[in-house]
Amino acid sequence: MTTAAPYTFLSPALIVTLLIVFIPIVYTISLSFMNYVIWKPNEIGFIGLRNYIDAWADEVFRISLGNTFVWIIGVIALQLALGFVAALILNQRFPFRGVARALILIPWVTPSVITALMWRWMYDGNMGVINDLLVRSGMLERYVPWLAQSTTALPAIMVALMWQGFPFFAVMILAGLQAIPTELYEVADVDGAGIFQKFFRITLPMISPILFTTILLRTIWVANSLDIIFIMTGGGPGYSSYTLPLYSYIKAYRGLDFGFAGTIAVYLTILLITVVTLYVIRVVRTEDRLR
Amino acid sequence: MRRTISLTLALLLVVSVVAFATGGQEAQEEQVVRFWYHFDDPETALTPLITKFESENPGISIQAERVPWDAYYQRLLTAVAAGNPPDVAQVKLWWQPQLVELGALLPLDSYIAKWDGRDDVYDRIWELTEYTDGKQYLMPLQMVVLYMYYRVDMFEELGLDIPTTRDEFLDVAKALTRDTDGDGEVDVYGFGIRGARGGHDWWGSFVLSSGAEFFDRFGNIGLTTPEAIAANQWFIDLYREHGVSPPTTPNDGFREIVANMQNGVTAMTIHHIGSARGMHDALGDKISAFPVPMGSDGVWTSFGDEENAVFAATDVPDAAFKWASFLAEAENNALWQESSGQVSINKSNANLPQGDLDRFFKATSDSTPFAGVLPAHPATAEFVEAVWPATMQRAFLGEITSREMMETFAEHFSE
Repeated sequence: MTTAAPYTFLSPALIVTLLIVFIPIVYTISLSFMNYVIWKPNEIGFIGLRNYIDAWADEVFRISLGNTFVWIIGVIALQLALGFVAALILNQRFPFRGVARALILIPWVTPSVITALMWRWMYDGNMGVINDLLVRSGMLERYVPWLAQSTTALPAIMVALMWQGFPFFAVMILAGLQAIPTELYEVADVDGAGIFQKFFRITLPMISPILFTTILLRTIWVANSLDIIFIMTGGGPGYSSYTLPLYSYIKAYRGLDFGFAGTIAVYLTILLITVVTLYVIRVVRTEDRLR
Repeated sequence: MRRTISLTLALLLVVSVVAFATGGQEAQEEQVVRFWYHFDDPETALTPLITKFESENPGISIQAERVPWDAYYQRLLTAVAAGNPPDVAQVKLWWQPQLVELGALLPLDSYIAKWDGRDDVYDRIWELTEYTDGKQYLMPLQMVVLYMYYRVDMFEELGLDIPTTRDEFLDVAKALTRDTDGDGEVDVYGFGIRGARGGHDWWGSFVLSSGAEFFDRFGNIGLTTPEAIAANQWFIDLYREHGVSPPTTPNDGFREIVANMQNGVTAMTIHHIGSARGMHDALGDKISAFPVPMGSDGVWTSFGDEENAVFAATDVPDAAFKWASFLAEAENNALWQESSGQVSINKSNANLPQGDLDRFFKATSDSTPFAGVLPAHPATAEFVEAVWPATMQRAFLGEITSREMMETFAEHFSE
């Protein structure tokens, strides 16, 4: 086998990746340095860092950036917590466990558009089922317009995304749990370890590589997801549920300002790369310490 | 023998060349018009119109593509920017400035001058659709005029008269806002306001009729005058101060507005003939319509339009115009409206019987004389799509004042 052979075999995949990923990225970065409003063809041109500087003076950008942090941290924490609980339950022995493990995947395989429309109607402030149940059970006095208040709109969408995304965590964590040798727990029992000791000393360290990968993947996906927000509130009311990808989308396709939209996208990319890098460094250090 | 073979071969060659050439000619003659359209109702079929057109115009075929409304304009503009727009597309008037700015549209004046159907289209529509450079880029297709839907049964129950002024409207809306089941909570609201995208028509009916105008006759922005700010405050107060619209108002879109009306959550709302069938089917005689009330400075309602544009990049301009004009001819236009549920642009279709929807058509024609459009300005499209909804919602939530809201609009149009 010559040295060229691996490259030959890899080249189809590399070329496709280059075409559909690398070129659009380079194009977006180049747009971000331009004044590029699609219906003003005569004004299109290079403007250096103007968009990058203007972004910080833009109130909507700052609101979107803050919301993006809340969005990522909130959704990941909620999904992780619910996914973990679901995985621990599904790891127990009970009748129809196989069926339950299959059913739990339903939210995950439901298209985002359907999820968003379903939750939008469930949250409806005049006839939504969530309000109805909460009022009937006495937890609320009157119907709440969940998606029409700036304080509740983003949290309400986060709950919808938690519902959609937690099965992925559950399934991944379940796979990790099943890979833990039962001998470890037996030995711990012999040593007189309690339930919390077993969880923190055996379960958590054993599934940490899986948790690490899952959180990393979900952070990237959640940060980029805008379809659910777009359908449920369109970013509103006001700018209270704007996140960076949504703002970028609205700037590009409602405002037709592809230059500024590109800048927002690049800022989001920088943010994600930073978060991911810090996270990877931290996890690698922790794992080294454990070894 | 060899000679026979050579002759045969030569003959075959000639025959195939001739066949190829004529075949090629036929292929050249077959003109394909790519047409983009959108309908609210996904069940709608264009097929009968296309079949009729193709049988009347041999050699032209229509390749129609239904594009979902939410992504319609962005797809159209990106297709234009990519140099590959359709030949003909259904468009809105407020997109015209940007499309003309891009050089995307073909002026149709010379075609329309030779077209027989010109005089059968309402003169007001030609006036409204003519661009500021004096050219006609759009072929009228359908129209709607917004009016007020109201619950007849609730008006009768409370002994209310149809309001004709802004003040009467507020009184009626307050009276209709009430607790009907005695649990201490309001469950019927007087007026359903669309606070999400598309709600500028609700806003315009009260604010543009009471002293606010996008541009005055000298071309100055007239949105930040004391009258304009007061009119805007009056509109904000419908929700914030008087609570005559549901708490969900800031986020209510088309679906919520219609559902609230059909479910008895609201007693009045603004919309056009497009929702009349659904309203009638849900509520029967309990629902009717009247023109929007008069403001402090006249009366204004939104003229909702759809036109067909022929794109400058087309290779088949004649065929493209034929299709666009075919759809604007009375008989075909009436067929189109059967699918779209909107109003024909032809004078000769004015008296077509509308059966159980007559009262809504009457409200439409009563409202036509004062129906207006948003300014023919390149900033209008973004105003409608993004600026109005976000700014209005912030004002509804009390995050900004009426003045700040109007200044945001003024700034948007002065850029």
